[in-house]
Amino acid sequence: MEIADLRKSFGQGEARQDVLRGVNFTVEKGEVCVLLGPSGSGKSTLLNIIGAIDKPGGGYVAIGGDKLQDMDEKHLTQYRRLHLGYVFQMYNLIPNLNVKENIEVGAYLSARPLDVEEVLTTLGLQEHKYKYPNQLSGGQQQRVSIGRAVVKNPDILLCDEPTGALDYKTSKEILGLIENCNRKYGTTVIMVTHNEAISQMADHVIRLRDGVVRHNTMNQTKRTAAKLEW
Amino acid sequence: MKNPLMKRIPKELATEWHKYLVIIIFMVVMIGVISGMYVGHDSMLVAVADGRETLALEDGSFELKNEASPELLAAIESGQRADVRQYYIDKATAEADEEVAEAIEKELRDTVRGEIEKAVRAQCAALGITDEAVVAAQVDAVIESRFDDALAEARETESYQKAAAEAYDEAHKAVIEAVDEEWDEIAERYHLNDDFSPVPVTLYESFYHDEPEDDDGDGTQDATIRVFPSDAALNRASFLAGRAPERDDEIAIDRMHADNVGVTVGDAITVGGREFKVVGLLSYVHYLTLHQSNTDLMFDAFGFDVGMVTPGAFDALPSRLHYNYAWQYRSEAADKVALAEDGNHLLQVVITQALVHDGEIEDFLPEYTRQASNFAPSDIDGDTTGTTIMCYILIGVIAFIFAITISNTIEKEAAVIGTLRSSGYTKGELVVHYMTMPVIVTVIGAIVGNALGYTALRKVAVDLYYNSYSLPACEPAFSREGLIKTTIIPLVLMFFINLFVILRRLQLSPLQFLRRELRKQRRAKARRLPAWSFLRRFRLRVLLQNGSNYAVLIFGVIFIELMLCFAFGLPDSLTHYGEKAPEMMFADYQYMLMDSKDADGNVITTAEPTAERFSSVELLYGKDAAAAFAGRGSGGDETVTVYGIAQDSDYITLPHDLAAGEVLISSAFRDKFGLSVGDAITLHEEYANRAYTFTVRGVVDYDGGIAVFMENGGFNGVFDREADGFNGYLSRNAITDIDEKQIAVVITQEDITKVTRQLMHSMGQFFGVFKIAMVVLSAALIYLLAKIIIERNEKNISMVKILGFGNGEIASLYILPTALVVTVFALVSFVVGYFLMIWIFRIFMLQMDGYFAFYMAPASMVLSVVYLLIGYGFVSVIDYLRIRRIPTDTALKNMDM
Repeated sequence: MEIADLRKSFGQGEARQDVLRGVNFTVEKGEVCVLLGPSGSGKSTLLNIIGAIDKPGGGYVAIGGDKLQDMDEKHLTQYRRLHLGYVFQMYNLIPNLNVKENIEVGAYLSARPLDVEEVLTTLGLQEHKYKYPNQLSGGQQQRVSIGRAVVKNPDILLCDEPTGALDYKTSKEILGLIENCNRKYGTTVIMVTHNEAISQMADHVIRLRDGVVRHNTMNQTKRTAAKLEW
Repeated sequence: MKNPLMKRIPKELATEWHKYLVIIIFMVVMIGVISGMYVGHDSMLVAVADGRETLALEDGSFELKNEASPELLAAIESGQRADVRQYYIDKATAEADEEVAEAIEKELRDTVRGEIEKAVRAQCAALGITDEAVVAAQVDAVIESRFDDALAEARETESYQKAAAEAYDEAHKAVIEAVDEEWDEIAERYHLNDDFSPVPVTLYESFYHDEPEDDDGDGTQDATIRVFPSDAALNRASFLAGRAPERDDEIAIDRMHADNVGVTVGDAITVGGREFKVVGLLSYVHYLTLHQSNTDLMFDAFGFDVGMVTPGAFDALPSRLHYNYAWQYRSEAADKVALAEDGNHLLQVVITQALVHDGEIEDFLPEYTRQASNFAPSDIDGDTTGTTIMCYILIGVIAFIFAITISNTIEKEAAVIGTLRSSGYTKGELVVHYMTMPVIVTVIGAIVGNALGYTALRKVAVDLYYNSYSLPACEPAFSREGLIKTTIIPLVLMFFINLFVILRRLQLSPLQFLRRELRKQRRAKARRLPAWSFLRRFRLRVLLQNGSNYAVLIFGVIFIELMLCFAFGLPDSLTHYGEKAPEMMFADYQYMLMDSKDADGNVITTAEPTAERFSSVELLYGKDAAAAFAGRGSGGDETVTVYGIAQDSDYITLPHDLAAGEVLISSAFRDKFGLSVGDAITLHEEYANRAYTFTVRGVVDYDGGIAVFMENGGFNGVFDREADGFNGYLSRNAITDIDEKQIAVVITQEDITKVTRQLMHSMGQFFGVFKIAMVVLSAALIYLLAKIIIERNEKNISMVKILGFGNGEIASLYILPTALVVTVFALVSFVVGYFLMIWIFRIFMLQMDGYFAFYMAPASMVLSVVYLLIGYGFVSVIDYLRIRRIPTDTALKNMDM
């Protein structure tokens, strides 16, 4: 994935705010890439543009050489459908579908979905699979949300502050699951976080501030999620 | 793989069952009631129309004083007019021949007698006989012995024969001259100069007896029953209970009359002094309403009855036999005009043939003018107006409910939609998903509603008609109009409104959904509030924050008020109009005469001082001519009464300078069609291809009918009548000195209230049901609206619960502002709904004959607001219970739906 001179601003005139001001980097297939930065640094906007749910003001995102801005709405939807999995800070589960069915919502979209039962097992949700979201803890709900994203067997898993609303222990569990998916299915992971410690589990760390990449480094001392401390 | 989102549908139905149940009930009530009305209406019309065929309704009938000879019947069946001139000539010639023969005989006898006397006297004189007595005796003796021979000889003479032939010729010529001299008058009397084409018919005996009927065996007459034999080939009956009589002591009588007087199958009644057992209740195809006489303005199902007995019992009935003959045309008329022409031609046939065959006509009635067979279907035909108004109001309400429900759902599920769209779900997949529920609910409502409409509610509607008329048995008939109006239109409307709302909503980007940026503008700053107490400010804040919800609420409340205005206003309008009818009469009595002259050609006069001659004719006004409502009227053309009024009338003031072609119109005519002075109106005849165009010169304040007024002289000119012709009297008092036979009908306020009676027939007993249905639907609607407001505030309510507010305080924060808003909206919406209803009512009056304005009694106005508030009162209690049930973790849970 190539991100080149990516720009984005909100508002007009005096109220104009440049959120991304020429972001450049590449992500290799199978990498765990963490976008790190404080609030307002533009990392979520960047993730949304990569996820084709927001449009850049300039520059481009190219995946396998295909530029997203050259695609129309229909192709972008297909791109999201076939290549992306999304995990948000808010789990956004469908309340009147049980755990298994929520995961099936993701599986339905894919031409080559993973086995739902296997995903449930991987995510430790087997015993909860007939429960409804309101019967689950936040961490369990986030597992379901990850399951919904990975069951599609996407090329890229986009995670926007996936542990933002979770406690330390649960957060580590969730990060472990994401790591597991990356390892097991070879999914490229792009994760937005403001938690410095999480960068330790990444192959590739990109630090953003004020809409520009301040540091773009490959992590030579990658640690497993279980060993993360903060 | 099947779309897993579809698994939500049954679950959503299960969890949100109360919401969907309310919507389904709403649809079932609406579709059921309206479809029941339409299906009942159409079933009845189909039964009536089918009955005309299967029960062999006559095309008309005439009655003779005595039984017709086979020659007369054959002559009438031929459809040819008799040669009346030849008949008169033959008749007069025969009389003349008799007179001439008598005169010739007398002359001959006198001549022969004179000749014999002359010869005898000459002989006597030659013989010297001078005694006159001897001479006279001699003359008598010779006459006695010789007269016949002499007479025979005289008859043989050439001079006699020549003179006799001349006398006959002269008499015959005189006869022809005399007939021809009077021919114009004869021709006019029998319409013999009119266009004529033969109308072959088949005649059937339709003899009947009018007998006294005693229903309760007390020896007094309760009604007059017209009895027909059971072997009639034409005008047969449909049985609603029991069977046809088989024994001579059995009778079947009219079902409605039996209901009215409390007679059932198995009872005994006395007819013509003989006791009969009632074995059947029937509806005669030619007596769908019990009009004893065709000139009766209203039928009388209490005092008049029709019945069927065996031919044996029929022959034994004591009263005079009415020689009524029914006819059927051998070829069907192409249209109304042709049908009327056939009727007129056959009248000439019957009159002329009866004349030449010495028959005497007592009555002649083409079926299309027969009240007893036409009153009910034409009354039923225009009965759907109220139903249609209600139907459209409810379709609007349901569309509104779905629009807000779906909009609310999408708003609630914004984050999920954003997530799904981000995950790659297409707009199309989501559209299908969100469309599924409304489609399912609508289809369930449509199926259950129609099922009810075709069963229980159809029966209610049909019973309404049975309460009014003597209608035949009917089977459920498919109602195309009902299906379109109650099912197809709501389904299509539902589909497209939902599609429109969903498509519009789903135009937003996935990110906008994720961020819940569903509206374009958001208030940047909080509004500053006055320094009130905290709770008051909190309440005001709730009020302000829910602005958009209240905007939806006011639309809903307007719909509710519209429904309530309809439920209360329609019966009020009918009652009000009925009460005002006497004030609307411009003359207390309108006597319509059969003709302005009696049988002897004398003008019919009266000594009543207030009586004033007038003319009138009924024409039609094309409803499409009202440009503002073009195409809206579905009840055919409007019947307009055109009056020719005396120049200085005491009843209607006409301008002295009314030019030719200028007319005044009634205020009802003006109001119904939005006419104004200077407009041109074109009226046409129903049974002839003639049209007349007039200019509106002014308006007469008369709400009782759709009428046009012009000066009588002008009237007679326009309609080609005699210069001083008229056909009725207007009067303040009853006229007693005109022979009743000359009076066709007396118009009183009954006629004016016909339109209200028509609606009362169809809907009178349904008003109660309508009111309840409307109140229930209003409560259901306010329930849905209030539910949305509470749901949208659920998180906030949960939060204030966490903060320690009690349920009572929370209710005062969240229910009180809504209660205040509902109260204010109820008052405002009543005004809006009231005026909207006036407008809707006016449009739909175009489907009716006649006109009356929408009216609501003050008490109904108050009630229509009070009912809404009572409904909201109940909903508030439910809201309170709902608030109590909102868990405290709602605000804390990471749940975005």
